[in-house]
Amino acid sequence: MEEIKGAIALIGYGLAAIGPGIGIGIVVGNAIQAMARQPEAAGMARTTMFLGIAFTEALALIGFVLFFIA
Amino acid sequence: MDVLILASECDPATEIICAPENVIELFEFNEALFSIGPLDFTRTVVLTFLAMFVVLALFYFGFRRVRVVPSKFGVAMESVVSFVRDDLAKGTIGPEGSRYAPYLLSIFMFILVANLFALTPGINFPLTSRMAIPLMLSIFTWLIFVIVGFTKNGLHYLFDIVWPKSVPLALRWLVGLIELVSVFVLRPLTLAVRLFANLVAGHLMLTLLLGSGWIFFAAVGDIGLRSVIGLPWFAFGLLIFVFEFVVAVLQAYIFTLLSAVYIQTSVHPEH
Repeated sequence: MEEIKGAIALIGYGLAAIGPGIGIGIVVGNAIQAMARQPEAAGMARTTMFLGIAFTEALALIGFVLFFIA
Repeated sequence: MDVLILASECDPATEIICAPENVIELFEFNEALFSIGPLDFTRTVVLTFLAMFVVLALFYFGFRRVRVVPSKFGVAMESVVSFVRDDLAKGTIGPEGSRYAPYLLSIFMFILVANLFALTPGINFPLTSRMAIPLMLSIFTWLIFVIVGFTKNGLHYLFDIVWPKSVPLALRWLVGLIELVSVFVLRPLTLAVRLFANLVAGHLMLTLLLGSGWIFFAAVGDIGLRSVIGLPWFAFGLLIFVFEFVVAVLQAYIFTLLSAVYIQTSVHPEH
């Protein structure tokens, strides 16, 4: 097989971003639902949403680091 | 990756290649501006000191005279302090959170000022887009939550992580291994990389959009009326500029929030 050349790290990062993209969508969507159902708990939902985003985003960030390593 | 240097080095008449030479630049310090004895003062170091003085000045002028009816600026600073202390520190850690409020407030203000340097005209350089600075801040957080965990719970802190009682026995070693790596390696790493990546991406986006707009405008003599194409780039760049303001504030908030949550997991490890 011929050697693959070019910015393969970019493709790798693109693949690494798919999962977190879906995950953040689910997190934010459910947080909005929670806020709409219980507006008085909006503050708590928001904080937890940011936390969930932060943990989900970690996978994309590891992909970002691989871009520099590769 | 400076906007102006990048833009002025591009030659639109021949071939537009404006890529930085390599990405190692983000991890190394540029050459020193000046040195005092053995200490080299690079642009990053000078701006770090500037950010420190800006934070000190904000607090000094905000709380110079404590009055019953504070000035408008005093009210603004008080609301920042009470937001970090009540919402972030006490809200996540609990009543003991006020012990950690000074640390959280310091990193919040420092990261906020350092991030907003990206949008300050004349500086246009986010301090936190150099890996050393977010890494240092996240190592501080790491040290605090590890030390607090061990002093509050002794060796149980470590045992609870590597041998979680709530997990079925067959999976316990695997979950323990994942937790061990996650708590002691991935937490500080992702904390630092999140800030770094967001600021680098934002800075790069601003550089490319505003820079290409500027290049097209500057080349009006060479390419004539076609330089109008720089207008949408410039407008899009200005839109992203506003977006970057939101990102700068949000990333400072998230860094502080996650620091508070990590400290909370050490203070009350059962949750």
